Amino acid sequence: MTSTETFYEKLKKWLDNFITGSGYTNITTGYITGELQFLVFIIILSVFFRLFSVPLAIILLIFITAFALYFAPVIKDVEKENMNDLNRVLYWMVIYFAIIIAITLWGG
Amino acid sequence: MIESISNLWSIPLLVIIPMLTAIIVNFLYDKAIKPIAISSAIIILIISIISPYGYHWFCGHPALNPETLTFTFNPNIFGYKLSLEFIFGPLQHIMIFISSLILLFCVILSTIGLTKHQGPYIALLFLLFMSSAIVIMVNDLYHLWIAVEIGSLIVVGIAAASGTSISHKAALKYGLFSAISGAGLAVSLALVLGLTGFSNISDAIMYLKQFGIGEMSTVLYIAFGFFVLSWMYAGGLAPIHPLKSEVYGASYPHGTALLQAQSKLMLVAIGIIMLRLFGMLPFVKEVMIFLSVITMMIGVIMALIQIDFRWIIAYLIISHSGFVTLGIGLGTQEGLIGGIFQAVNDIIYMTILLLCCEALFYFGGKTSTKEAYDIAKKSPFIATATILGAIAASGIPPFNGFQSEIILIQACLKEGLPEIAVLILMVSVTTFIALLRGIYRIFLKPPELQDQDNSNVDLPKVLIIGIIIFIILSIIIGIYPDIVLRFIIPVVKEVLSI
Repeated sequence: MTSTETFYEKLKKWLDNFITGSGYTNITTGYITGELQFLVFIIILSVFFRLFSVPLAIILLIFITAFALYFAPVIKDVEKENMNDLNRVLYWMVIYFAIIIAITLWGG
Repeated sequence: MIESISNLWSIPLLVIIPMLTAIIVNFLYDKAIKPIAISSAIIILIISIISPYGYHWFCGHPALNPETLTFTFNPNIFGYKLSLEFIFGPLQHIMIFISSLILLFCVILSTIGLTKHQGPYIALLFLLFMSSAIVIMVNDLYHLWIAVEIGSLIVVGIAAASGTSISHKAALKYGLFSAISGAGLAVSLALVLGLTGFSNISDAIMYLKQFGIGEMSTVLYIAFGFFVLSWMYAGGLAPIHPLKSEVYGASYPHGTALLQAQSKLMLVAIGIIMLRLFGMLPFVKEVMIFLSVITMMIGVIMALIQIDFRWIIAYLIISHSGFVTLGIGLGTQEGLIGGIFQAVNDIIYMTILLLCCEALFYFGGKTSTKEAYDIAKKSPFIATATILGAIAASGIPPFNGFQSEIILIQACLKEGLPEIAVLILMVSVTTFIALLRGIYRIFLKPPELQDQDNSNVDLPKVLIIGIIIFIILSIIIGIYPDIVLRFIIPVVKEVLSI
């Protein structure tokens, strides 16, 4: 697990690698807010699985929270996966398309 | 809706006037462009206001009322129309009115701000409006595909027109993806056409509901998958959002205002068609809700970590598209009303923010939070307008964003989805944080160097008027939501009754 202090230090170290100058504090604020928002978002999303099965939602909630805290800061990975590289977008689009087709066919 | 079996005069005009204007201004130079472009935009705006409701058909016939033996447009009376048709109803009325208002300001601003390639750029603006108008009016598979394809190509043109290397890259990437999603939509439409035999969307839905498709449902699922692909692409939903946000961020802010309006119109039009065509299949609504939630979440988080005000707005447009699709995905009366209402509100408050962003171009063209400082001292009006736009976007009363978001939250709670209601609240709050970060740095933070230029800049009057009009619209709709809801509610009831 990562404490808040360690998480902040890790994030600061990572940001230090490529950001210098006056924008530093502003950017750090954005990244930390983004990190915390993302954590809360995925926790709420994991709770959402109660619609299918309550035990599944509980297990997902515990695992997702633990993973997100262990691998913090995850915002850098979120940002990396959201880059506008054509190959990355294409990759995610194929994954989405496969999931949509699989779920709908399974549902049918 | 007024029943008339004659073709409505205004529908072809809403398509042909922008098309003809685009052709004419493309060939004109300098002073001749401005009067023609502005007068065409005004005519389009007037048509969108005064037009009655009705249809324009390329073939087919209305349904026959078995009791009176007369033709009728009543959707509750069964009858195949066999037509390629455009519809101008209450939904089209409000959507096209808002779009044509934005078109007018975009055209005027581009005649003031652009010095080079004014004609072709304004032509693209008109064609973008035309594609939006078609996609919201269309009720047949052929025209739907054509409108989405034309719209995609025009988006590429508008993004490239700002002339920077970033915009060229954004345009190229978006153009490449249009080949995939356009082909996907064509495949989807071909499958629906093959299954039902009808090109008219209402006919196809009636056929599916009356006769079912039995073992061929797998084919309908595949069609749904491809349809979703084009929905994601046209509206910039996740995972296509990096490309769409790049287009928004790289285009001129006034162009982005029209682009986001077109995007919302496409989301509403394609979303409603998807709900009507595939809504009866299991997991379809869940897929639509899932896409919406991911888009809301990713968009707002990406907005938080941007350092350029244009990019913050670009990602927020993406995030708020998720609100629109969420409402449609819920498929309930409240959800649909909330989703469509959110689309109208979103177009209005994002236009306020984008016009304020356009104003920043007159203060040296810097929109980055690292480069622009203290604009509030130079222009208190723009700073105030931006803050008001941010408040509207965050869903704070008495602005319009509040009204649609509260409807969406109520719709989620009624459906037993409190988690999504919480997510909507979180996205609203995070929108405020993301915007205020940018607003503080650009408008309120004092300059770090003393030799900053503090000279006043005269903003174009039309820009100020535009911002004021959209702020007033935002407040009026926020206080009297019925002004817009009276257009939306009958359409939603009609969609759900079929």
